[in-house]
Amino acid sequence: MKHLWHLLFVPHERNNYRASIIQTPFIALFIALYLLNQSFIKSLSIIRPGILGYSSEITAQKVYDQTNQKRQSAGLPPLHFNNVLSQSAAAKARDMFANNYWAHNSPQGKSPWDFFKSAGYQYSIAGENLAKDFYDTDSMMNAWMNSPTHKANIINNQYQEIGIGVVNGILNGVKTTLVVQHFGTPLNVAEVKVNTPEEKSYLEDTQVLSDANYQSSPTISPLQISRSVGAAMFIIIIGVLLVDGYLTLKNRNQRLAGSSAGHVGFLVIILFLLFFTGQGSIF
Amino acid sequence: MSLFKEIEQKPLEYLILLFIFIGAVIAYLTFGFDRQEQRWVIYATCGAYFLWMLYHHHHRGDLHLSIIIEYLAFILLAIIITASTLL
Repeated sequence: MKHLWHLLFVPHERNNYRASIIQTPFIALFIALYLLNQSFIKSLSIIRPGILGYSSEITAQKVYDQTNQKRQSAGLPPLHFNNVLSQSAAAKARDMFANNYWAHNSPQGKSPWDFFKSAGYQYSIAGENLAKDFYDTDSMMNAWMNSPTHKANIINNQYQEIGIGVVNGILNGVKTTLVVQHFGTPLNVAEVKVNTPEEKSYLEDTQVLSDANYQSSPTISPLQISRSVGAAMFIIIIGVLLVDGYLTLKNRNQRLAGSSAGHVGFLVIILFLLFFTGQGSIF
Repeated sequence: MSLFKEIEQKPLEYLILLFIFIGAVIAYLTFGFDRQEQRWVIYATCGAYFLWMLYHHHHRGDLHLSIIIEYLAFILLAIIITASTLL
């Protein structure tokens, strides 16, 4: 066992003065193990849909409040909440779960505007923002505000109304929460109404609709599994590179190998990028 | 430590590498909203690291196939792990 440990982590004559863990065959083994892990995650989501997923504390009320906060910060009037637009947004989210897609246009060729029309909203101008896999509203709003096209919808001074669909379900075998914002200005501007207490309660009641197959339970995030496995591999390799570099200098060994300093720097940067990859995705 | 000794011997080469890494972080954070752009930043960083390797080892006179394969293995590992987290 001690010999194996030495062979893997300590440079000496039996491993050609380079720790085996950082030699090319072992890096290839790390790649194979990671791909195996990814295949396991994918298989699990197909065989047992709903085992993996993203938990979320997002509510339609929070999305509505924060959208208007962003508008107020930009010196724009708040958007009025519209029940019909919310039905349209929720229908879009349910359609994405039902047909297993993540896009503005469905595989059946339905555009966002079809949902506006189906809900009975006649618009002169309209827009759609989508988000999925976010845990909190702040992160999701920040992602939208950092994207020029999504930000343009949120702070568009031509929109007067908004509807929000926050729907839980299973997409590609993974539990998630889809958030759909539908913006619009009615064809007849006289139809624009201010919020009433009834509309507010509708917003709260329909903030989370559920797909028929969705059962609420603690979820394991597939992204978190991938990140943790990847980060563990990087940390092991970086640690061994540092030990290897130290012992090589101490023992004054000469060998043909890549730059340990370069590898450490490269892996540290990739590890940093891995940790700074935000949650969720927008469309 | 060997890493610092390596850097001391070729400071300009490692300064170039440092600029590559700083540029990668800035670009990655700038395109924080767009997964596709973030993917391109990672590919560009890996490409730049590979080019740096060619220059560095050619300059050192030890640009052998085994070294090129070693770098490619590290780069492939980085691409596979980061790409799978940028869904």
